[in-house]
Amino acid sequence: MSFDVSRREELKAKFSEFSETRDQAVRRELIEAHLGLAEYLARRFANRGEPLDDLIQVASVALLKAVDRYDPDRGVEFSTYATHTIAGELKRHFRDKGWAVRAPRRMQELYLRLGQAISALSQERGRSPTISELAQETRVSEEEVLEALEAGQAYRFASLDAPGTGPEEAEALASRLGEEDPEFTGAEHRATLSPLIAKLPHRQQLILHLRFFEGLTQSDIAARLGISQMHVSRLLARSLAQLREAAETDGLT
Amino acid sequence: MAAGDGAEEVRLSVPATPEYLRLARITGSGLASRLGFTYDEVEDLRLALDELCFALVGADGRMGTLEVRYTVTDKTIEVEGTLLGSGSAVAPSLSDLGDQILAALVDDHAVRPAGERPSIWLRKVRAG
Repeated sequence: MSFDVSRREELKAKFSEFSETRDQAVRRELIEAHLGLAEYLARRFANRGEPLDDLIQVASVALLKAVDRYDPDRGVEFSTYATHTIAGELKRHFRDKGWAVRAPRRMQELYLRLGQAISALSQERGRSPTISELAQETRVSEEEVLEALEAGQAYRFASLDAPGTGPEEAEALASRLGEEDPEFTGAEHRATLSPLIAKLPHRQQLILHLRFFEGLTQSDIAARLGISQMHVSRLLARSLAQLREAAETDGLT
Repeated sequence: MAAGDGAEEVRLSVPATPEYLRLARITGSGLASRLGFTYDEVEDLRLALDELCFALVGADGRMGTLEVRYTVTDKTIEVEGTLLGSGSAVAPSLSDLGDQILAALVDDHAVRPAGERPSIWLRKVRAG
């Protein structure tokens, strides 16, 4: 992750310019020039049970912060400063998932069965099932249902790419989210979005928007996007966790 | 805010660090499930508890103890989170976004920054 001497000088000059002008085009250029560093660091944290996409996203958000906060007058190279910031955020990402215990296989299986039961019962009854109905359907106790849901939500095996996200579901999501939702891209709605939300992947932005600004229920969103309720829950929980992390580090809480 | 007659209270006291917030969620979802909340409602409550705890504890945790009081009646669960014994009292605060999120997730919520017991409170009512 090193640049040749002339490029390094060029970037140095850009940082000085940015620290004086806060010019957004310069900022973008500086961010883009260092995305490779963010990805490089994210990859060093891969294979520890967190999806690489998530890690790259954490690293990229940290890079934005590093660019914004870097003070060239302090005499520290940006790459040194950024590496420190990004690695710190990545470590924190892992530490925040504190209970880094892999859910037992039995819980994972129950979690997947619950996903199916939630969809089936919702369709059958035209409403979201209660926990007790889910327990009956899957023939386990309510406590086990709650434990499995909690374990699933705790990210341990709830990667979006994990089993449970069948190919057809992933495809449905990708194709629906590929279409620009006209309501969503309206300037009026964009104004309601916090800049922190704007940093999230588009599909997460859309789901946040539907739940928190349009007031749709999780089931409504699942039906509208053609994905499972459980998937919506996971995406919401993940998005909110990411927003909290970003807000905390931005000091915007 | 007292939930009135027939209300039952459950209290959870944990170190005010992110590792323990899971217990606040599990306790909340367990109580909600007893009240017959649906999956949607339980998931919303869980997200709301995360927001509530974060507003009190932050991403790095605080000194002292997080006390979460759950009050349940027939179809309502109320949750009040307070930070205890943290030396200088840290007033809980919600960002505008946090406020909007809670407004969508629960029926009512309030931040009580001043007084003897700075806290965040929320109420969720079963729909059916």
